[in-house]
Order: sequence, then C-alpha cells, then structure tokens
Amino acid sequence: MAGHDSGSILVFAQFQSAVDEGFWHRLSSLKLNKLGIDESPIPITGYYAPCSHPQVSNHLTLLAQSLPSESNEQSSAAAMSRGNRNRCPIRGTLYNTNTIESFHKLDKKSLLRVEAKKIWDDIHTGRAVEDSALLSRFLLISFADLKKWNFHYWFAFPVLVLDPPATLVDLMPASQYFSLEEAESVSAACNEWRNSSLTADVPFFLVSTDPNSHATVKHLKDWETCQSDGHKLLFGFYDPCHLPHNPGWPLRNYLALICVRWNLKSVRFLCYRESRGFADLGSSLVGEALITVPQGWRDHQSLPNAVGWEHNKGRQVPRSISLAKSMDPTRLAISAADLNLKLMRWRALPSLNLNAMSSIKCLLLGAGTLGCQVARMLMAWGVRKITLLDNGRVAMSNPLRQSLYTLDDCLNGGEFKATAAVKSLTRIFPAVDAEGVVMAIPMPGHPVSSQEEDSVLEDCRRLHDLIDSHEAVFLLTDTRESRWLPTLLCANTNKITITAALGFDSFLVMRHGAGPFVSSHDFNVEAANALSAVENIAQADKDERQRLGCYFCNDVVAPIDSTANRTLDQQCTVTRPGLAPIASALAVELLVGILHHPLGIYAEGEVANSLTSESSERPLGVLPHQIRGSLSQFSQMALVGHSSNSCTACCSTVVSEYRERGMEFIIQAINHPTYLEDLTGLTELMRSASAFKLDWDNETDLDEDDYVDI
Amino acid sequence: MDISSWDGTISLAEFHAAACALVEKWKKVSSASPPWSWVSCPKQPWVASHEVSVEGYLSLENIILVSIKEEHDELPSFPQKEETSCSDKEESIDIATLVQGQSDHDEICYYDLHIVYSAPYRVPVLYFRVYYSDGEPLQFEDIKKHLPAHSAKTLLDSKWTFITQEEHPYLNRPWYKLHPCGTGEWMKLLFQGDVSLARNGAAIEVYLISWLSFVGQVVGLRIPYEMLNQL
Repeated sequence: MAGHDSGSILVFAQFQSAVDEGFWHRLSSLKLNKLGIDESPIPITGYYAPCSHPQVSNHLTLLAQSLPSESNEQSSAAAMSRGNRNRCPIRGTLYNTNTIESFHKLDKKSLLRVEAKKIWDDIHTGRAVEDSALLSRFLLISFADLKKWNFHYWFAFPVLVLDPPATLVDLMPASQYFSLEEAESVSAACNEWRNSSLTADVPFFLVSTDPNSHATVKHLKDWETCQSDGHKLLFGFYDPCHLPHNPGWPLRNYLALICVRWNLKSVRFLCYRESRGFADLGSSLVGEALITVPQGWRDHQSLPNAVGWEHNKGRQVPRSISLAKSMDPTRLAISAADLNLKLMRWRALPSLNLNAMSSIKCLLLGAGTLGCQVARMLMAWGVRKITLLDNGRVAMSNPLRQSLYTLDDCLNGGEFKATAAVKSLTRIFPAVDAEGVVMAIPMPGHPVSSQEEDSVLEDCRRLHDLIDSHEAVFLLTDTRESRWLPTLLCANTNKITITAALGFDSFLVMRHGAGPFVSSHDFNVEAANALSAVENIAQADKDERQRLGCYFCNDVVAPIDSTANRTLDQQCTVTRPGLAPIASALAVELLVGILHHPLGIYAEGEVANSLTSESSERPLGVLPHQIRGSLSQFSQMALVGHSSNSCTACCSTVVSEYRERGMEFIIQAINHPTYLEDLTGLTELMRSASAFKLDWDNETDLDEDDYVDI
Repeated sequence: MDISSWDGTISLAEFHAAACALVEKWKKVSSASPPWSWVSCPKQPWVASHEVSVEGYLSLENIILVSIKEEHDELPSFPQKEETSCSDKEESIDIATLVQGQSDHDEICYYDLHIVYSAPYRVPVLYFRVYYSDGEPLQFEDIKKHLPAHSAKTLLDSKWTFITQEEHPYLNRPWYKLHPCGTGEWMKLLFQGDVSLARNGAAIEVYLISWLSFVGQVVGLRIPYEMLNQL
C-alpha cells in the first residue's frame, strides 16, 4: 500500500516487570488458605510510575497488596486501591496453575487475546477515555511450587499491533521541543497534576498550550474541548522507560486509542519522565508519529493482532524465582540457629570453633534421662550429627524425665527409644542428622548361652563399627557393666569418651583419658589405629605424661552383674530429677571444652581455679578430668585421676588382649566375670591389699550402690 | 539530657519523636533524595501499651543500586531447566518492539531500608534488604560486593557492625539487620565525643540523625550534609 518512506518505524521499549517478595508470600498464603485448587483467574493490581532515574526504567511492580485479601468481604470486582503519585494502579489478571505442566500448557496466545480484547472493547466503548489506566491492562500467568518455594511466572503487556506499524517523524528531548516559557509552564502544569491526589495516579493526559505559552494539563475526556480551542495539543503519558531514543510501552495502546476514537493520523506525544520528584523535560521526550489506520480497525468486532509477552533476557521464555531461603521454614530455622551461635562467638568468645561442633559425629549410648538431655544440649551447641543407641522402649514414666519423649511415644507398648528420640530431635530441628540404633550392649557378668553367642558377637561387631565411625562417644547407660565394652572399644581407637553416671543425689561426669597405645604427640586418630600394638606396648609404662583414667580405672573390682540381688528401688530409676539435666549439661560442656583445647583428648586434667590468667587460647576456661557433684550439698568438685595399669577396661594388657584375640576375648570376659580381674592382676592386687592395710579413703564414698544410675 | 549518666538508649516514645523529626528535616533539606516515610503499624493486642500509636517504623524503599560492570553469574542457583522453549511461534516477531540487551537488567538491584525500634535494646535498628528487579533477594556476600568501597571497609573493620539475618518484626520475613547490641555503647560515645551534641538540649531529635549518619555508612546511604548541620 501507499507506504510512508519518510521516517523510521517507531520502536517501543517493553514494559518491565518487578515482583516484590511479598507478592509471592501473599499468593502462597492465599493458595493454601483460600484458593486451594481453584484455578480461576484472579484480579490483581500492578503499580508503576513515570521513570525517575536516568539509567533505570521504572517497572510495573507487584506487591503483597496487589492481590485481593483473604477475607471474604472482598468484592469481586478488583477493589483497586487508590494509588498515589508513585503508584499508579493498573488492572491485571492472574492465572495461577496447580502444576508446572498446566503452567506450560496454558494457551498463551488465546489468553493474550482475551486481555487484548478487553482493551479493544474499552477503547471502542469509550471506557478507556474515562479511565485511561485501562489501556495498560496486563496479564500474569504463574505456578507456585509450595513445596520447594519456587515460583514460575510470565508477564504479558498486551498491545494492539498497528499494521503497518507507526512511523516516527521526529523524537527529541522535551526541553528542545518547547520554548523556554513553554517549558516552564509545562513543567509547572505537570507538577501540579502530579501533586494533586485526584490526578497523581492518572497516567494518560493532554497538554494544551495556548498562544501565550501557557500550558494546562487535562483529562483525556476533555479532548473535544481542547480540539475546539485550537491550541497546541500534546498527548502525554507517564513513561516508565528511561531510554533517550525510544518511548515506553504504554504509548502503543495510547496510539491505538487515539486513532480509533479521534481518527488522527499524526500524533504529537509527550513521554513524561521525572527526576527527583519533579518533571524533567530533559529526559522527557516529545515526538511525532504517523499512523496508518488499518482497515479492520473501524470495526469493533474484529480484534487486531496483539503482542506483549515479556522478554526474559531477550528470549521469549517465562521467568522463575526461588524463595526457599526466605520462605522454607527449615532453612529459616537453620539460619536462626546459626545466628545464635555466631552471636555467641562475636560477642563473647571470638575463638569459638563452630565448625568443629557442626562437623563432629557423636554417638550416645543410652537414650534415657541422660541421653535425651545430652542430645538436646549437643544440638544447642550446633552439633548436627547424633546417633542414639538404646534397646529399650518408651515406658509410661519416661516422658517426665526423658525430655525427648511424650505420651504418644508410650502407647501401644511404647516406641523404641532410639527411634522416638530421632523423631523428636528432627521435630525440634529439622536439619539435624540423627540416627537411631536399637541394640543391646553386651555386658560382662551377664553370661550368654551358646545359642545367643552369635547374636552377641554380632552386637559387639556392630558396636565396634559404630564407635569407629564416630568421633565422640557418650556413655549414658544405666548400669556399670554396660559401660565396660564401649570403654574398651574407645580406648582401643582413642575416641573422645565422656561418661555420666548418677547416684541418688550425686553424679559423676568425666572424660576418659587417651587410649594406652597411642603416642602422646600423635593427634591423628586414624594414624593411631594404624600403629601396631606390638610396637607400642611398652610405651604406656615409659610415658612420662601419664594418661588420664577411664571410668573403671578407680575400680578394684571388675564390672559384674550389678542388677541382681538388688532391691526394687535400687533397680529402678531413683535419682533426684535435677541430677540428670545437670550431669548431661556438664557432659556436653566438657566435650566442647575438649574440642577447644589445643591438646584435645590428651589434655591434662585441671581443677577449678587453675588457670591463673585469662588466656585467649582457652576461651572456655578450665578443662577438668572428672566432675563429681552432690545435690545434697549443692556442691561440685573437679578432680583428676590417672589411669591404672590394672584397669579392667583400658589398661594396655586388656586392650592388647582385645587386639590379639578380638571377639573371643570379649565373650570370655562376658561369660567369666573374674577373668578380667585375673588378667589385669587385680585378683593378685586384692590379695596383697588385704595383707597390708592400704588406705582406700578417696574411694570410700564411691561404693557399688552409688553407681546405680539411669 | 545528662550525657554522663545516659546509657545511649531511648524509649519508644522518644524514638517516635525522633523519627518524625527526621522525616520532616529530610523533606526540607533534601528533596532530591527519596524521602523517608513513617509506616504506622497496628498495635499488637497482646502487648501492653499506654502509648498512642507510636508503633511503626521508618521506611526508605526502592533505592536503586547500579553496580559497576562486573562478572555477574547466572542469577538463581535454582536450575532453569526445560523452559519448554516456546512452541513454534508463540508470538510472531513484532518489529515495533525494542529488543534489549540481556545484561542490562541484571546488575540493577534495589534496596529497602527500615528503621525499627528494638524494645529489648532500647535503640533503633537498621533493617535492610537488597533484591533484583524480579524480587530475588541477594545473599549477603553479594550485597557486600554492591556496596560502595568505603562502606564495605567500614563493615568489615568496625567491631560495632554485625550483620545478621532475622525476621522483620512487622513484615515477618527475613531481612538483614545491623545487630543492635553495640548501639547503646557507641551512641553514648558519639554524644560524649561531640561537644555540641553533649550540650544540646534537643538531643532526641538529633539522636536518630546521628545514629543514621554512622549506620548509613555501612549500607552506603549518604546523609545529606545539611541534615547534620542543623543541629
């Protein structure tokens, strides 16, 4: 057809979208609480304002309030919030799907046409002249994955396509176009328009300049009057775009309106932009466009072509955003927990080694009163890898003193403690890596029949492997003899071992010394295991720095069956309730102390007040060997005990016997209680003791009964 | 206010008064910069309060941070797989649409600043967040990269500045904040150190502005010089 050669095609900059996090939060909440699987379109409101930055375009923004509220008093027609000068409200429609497949399957072409038709209708009926913001209607399709907190979405800003496209006669900064007086007057008029609450959010307007260079800004519906005035007329609009050579997207439908309603073929337009809250005629543009009205456009019924899907980095694809970090409760819990520990480090203990805590693997033997509390304390310190071993089930009396269990765990015979504990820990802190092992610990003095032997051996091996795969072991069982095998295994592999034991109103918390077969200067546990026993047998005796003792080092008898021949109340858990939490807390603090001591497991035992000056290397203070406390006195002592060469659990004789004979040795110890005493020479020692009157005073307050514990 | 016995903290009512003073001064002195506004929050019914609607916070939003050209890796760690690349001809190419370069939008981020009163510490706290135009929040490491050079240095060197991520008390979403535990101390130091401040009876109005002048440095917010001069 009679094409215009003069002038190039008018090229528009696309509208850009911006979605505030709050919008997705609100949509998630709406979906969960109100919409459910309902996929019907939702009326929403977008906001934009004229460009106010020379390098950055303004965006069509969605906020939390863009969505209807959840309450039912909401009227169905989008109750558009009254905007302000920074937020011109624009009507939009949201199609939110329930699956990613249906998101991709949406018929985008037809959805676009539906919105375009609304604009087309508004133009033809004249509604768009009354409420010009309707010209910028938009469309949003989305899929909200509420399990992973990912949001897929795609905006469309439908525009009616002129065919042939409009051409540009000229385009220049407004300051160039207007005379000085005109410019001043136009600025003033625009500022007035922008400052009045009645017009601040009306994005399309007319600028009429009389022969005296006096400009006024008018509503679109005043066009007829302006026509008859014969004054210079400019079609102005809030331009979100910042580019110096291209007008923004709203101009497209504006031109469509102008040519359909007012039949103009040449249009002078003003791309209104601002700076610092005022009209900026330097960045605002004035241009002239030539339109060839397409044939079909007279006819309301025939809808022109529409385009407008937003480009994503130059491509026509949807966008997505992941808000897991700010919405996923587990992640929020993790960062809150980390914050707490970091605060501690920042404010009080700069040398706190939080990495050591989060990477250490702890094995808790016993998931009872002590086990539950120790597990909780470990988590509070940032320990994430916890394994609990216990073969018992949760009994009705347990939840009161065993802090991980509730009544539900007791029903139907009771859940296995190890399993229930893990569930409970995960409920408290989802990021914990907790494992439960249901198993009994083989004990000396509890002989096994030959049928049971295989399964007992299996348990021994399993225990050996568990201890091997963890770095710290807590002995929290309810009998002395159940601590024997773990102590031996830990001494053999040189693991950090912490024992807690309760009497009726007294407790003992201690860390075992290093095993007998590792050189004091070797801190590498794996290397220690690799050393051959033979090579180092003599080491222990020659070692100047005597190692600290284990739980059994102070015994003069081997562990025997302490549960037989005891009265009911001695068999049951009879301790003052306050003891377990105190002892558990101390046990964990002791572990933390070890982890922060430069010598770790080889650290000497210290007593209270032994550090003379504040040492930055010792941020946590003294590191005792044993803490013995008494509730009846409300007192506590830090003591040191060295290893005994006749210890039934950790002396070199016993450990090397284990290394040589393995399970055979274990079974023998289990079935013949005096075997250990004979092996270590304790039997001999006892005989000679009765011959001389040796003073065992420092052990008298620790007879058998005091070791009855949980 | 007797500086010597003062511990550097203020009450909620004083915060509100100081906030209003700041909003006014800012408007007068610096119409060029985007304005601070007070966002009033409905009282939580379970908080006993005899104060009349002083609950709220100061807000400065949508400040544009245009970063200098730098290596910008693909935004979300979230993998962008199968965008069923649009079925043939979703939309015919429209010659009237400007095709924009891809990198341009990515480096632009926005930040919001909120000044909220902390009841336990009795001082103002700066909450902030930084995000791309698609709403994706920046991680703290990236925020540091976008800060002007001297701010980043202040942040790292100063023992008073400790950034943590916590729930915004009114919006219930995680925002970064400058932890308030040191604030009382350094506010006291600030006031003691400046003779005119120490003598000035109108200390409360000045409190927030002084606080902001220090804290603002951390996030690269420039306080117009005139604000400080009008003390």
